[in-house]
Amino acid sequence: MAKAIKTVSTVVSKVEDLGNDTKRFTLVDQDDWELPPFRPGAHIDVHLGQGLVRTYSLCNEPDDNRRYVIAVKREREGRGGSNFLHDRVEAGQPISVSLPRGGIALDPEGTNVFVAGGIGVTPFISAIRHLERRGRSNYVLHWTSRGQPVLPDMIVPAIEAGRVRLYDTTTQAKPVIAAIVREFVGSGLAACCGPAPMLQAFEDAVSAWPEERKHIEMFTPPKVSAKSDVPPYELYLSASKKLATVTPDVGLLGTLDALGVDVPVSCGGGICGACRTRWSEGPPIHRDRVLSPAERQNELIVCVGDCAGQRLVLDL
Amino acid sequence: MDAIAIEKPEVAMSWQGVVRFLHKTPRAFLPMRSFPSLELVAGRGIEGDRYFVGHETGFYSHKPEEGRQVTLFEMETLEALRRDHKIELLPEEHRRNVTVEGVPLNHLVGHRFRLGETIVEATRLSTPCRHIEEILGKSVFDPLINRSGLNCKIIAGGTLRVGDAVRPI
Ligand code: FES
Repeated sequence: MAKAIKTVSTVVSKVEDLGNDTKRFTLVDQDDWELPPFRPGAHIDVHLGQGLVRTYSLCNEPDDNRRYVIAVKREREGRGGSNFLHDRVEAGQPISVSLPRGGIALDPEGTNVFVAGGIGVTPFISAIRHLERRGRSNYVLHWTSRGQPVLPDMIVPAIEAGRVRLYDTTTQAKPVIAAIVREFVGSGLAACCGPAPMLQAFEDAVSAWPEERKHIEMFTPPKVSAKSDVPPYELYLSASKKLATVTPDVGLLGTLDALGVDVPVSCGGGICGACRTRWSEGPPIHRDRVLSPAERQNELIVCVGDCAGQRLVLDL
Repeated sequence: MDAIAIEKPEVAMSWQGVVRFLHKTPRAFLPMRSFPSLELVAGRGIEGDRYFVGHETGFYSHKPEEGRQVTLFEMETLEALRRDHKIELLPEEHRRNVTVEGVPLNHLVGHRFRLGETIVEATRLSTPCRHIEEILGKSVFDPLINRSGLNCKIIAGGTLRVGDAVRPI
């Protein structure tokens, strides 16, 4: 059985230098096939090799379904993802990405107030393009940037129609977020993406708002297929002599993956049996729908399994 | 046709179905595209599909599986999902190649049957994949257990078209 494919294979079709230390990358399928669908303001993980994975918002809209467009600002002090993209990624290169996740649940009727700082505008560009394509104008974007903003070319009609308010902080004061959102307190959606102080000011301003009417852009982690609710335990692989701790957020399968163990996974949901593995210490927690009680005595379906004790030993 | 089948010991094999939709996609996770016809190649798969044997190029890393050269799905399951679970699953969303109507897929494992002008052999039932929920944003994994379609090997190839008959041999 083949190792499960976990990423979407794309090719960089275009790299544009937008100035202000920002580059825009367009990713497509090698045969120009449609890409997996996404919601306005969704994000993808970009796999840059050697474990380097970074998450970026898509700035194009769902109907534009043959491209993923991301804009990346170089973070000189960053952890290497943006520098890698800026220095090493060129048109024509293959690049693996995750399925898109997240997105903004736009208010179809009420006003959508977007508050963005710098490159944090990307999910709102996607949302604005989505709304404009549907002939909707029920939004306003407040966009703070240091110097010339990048990406305005993607929302020209919105800017021309006066639905975008720009603040250049090199010449202007920063906007007061509480004042911006105040007029929408009774209806509509407010959303924010930007640097930490901006997010904080926004959170404070909308703290009394109901959850479904506010959106603070934080990249959502990929869904763990079998969400673990057990305390951390030790995992020992007896054949390869590897040791690790399984924590609820990573899970058993994620830990095996991180250890570089090649467990064949197919359904990922405990019904096909592809990932059955022998165990010798536990006892394991079985959540599959494959094994008989007798088989469970020495086998575990690891894609949905866990350990009820302190230490799980698998024959891997 | 039916009369002949009924005279055989396998009464369950007296059925006749039809091909309603045909789909393929070149790579994992990419949306399925609908086609009026597909080329089935004996022992290899569907031309241009992600499971076609011998199609692995560059960063195409799927290892094709012998018994999964073409996959089938029941139209009736789409109706049952709508009726029993209020889930609207479209023919391009179940990610199998051939949507058939009137074919008892779950009873065909181990049997050969005619798919238009081609002959296929059912190897095993398909299992749903967790990713389908992620891809579609619909909770279809549980409802699809035991009715996620059929994997087949292609014994005799040919062109398969929407509207073709599906019959026992
Ligand atoms: S991968 Fe199917 S049961 Fe684990």
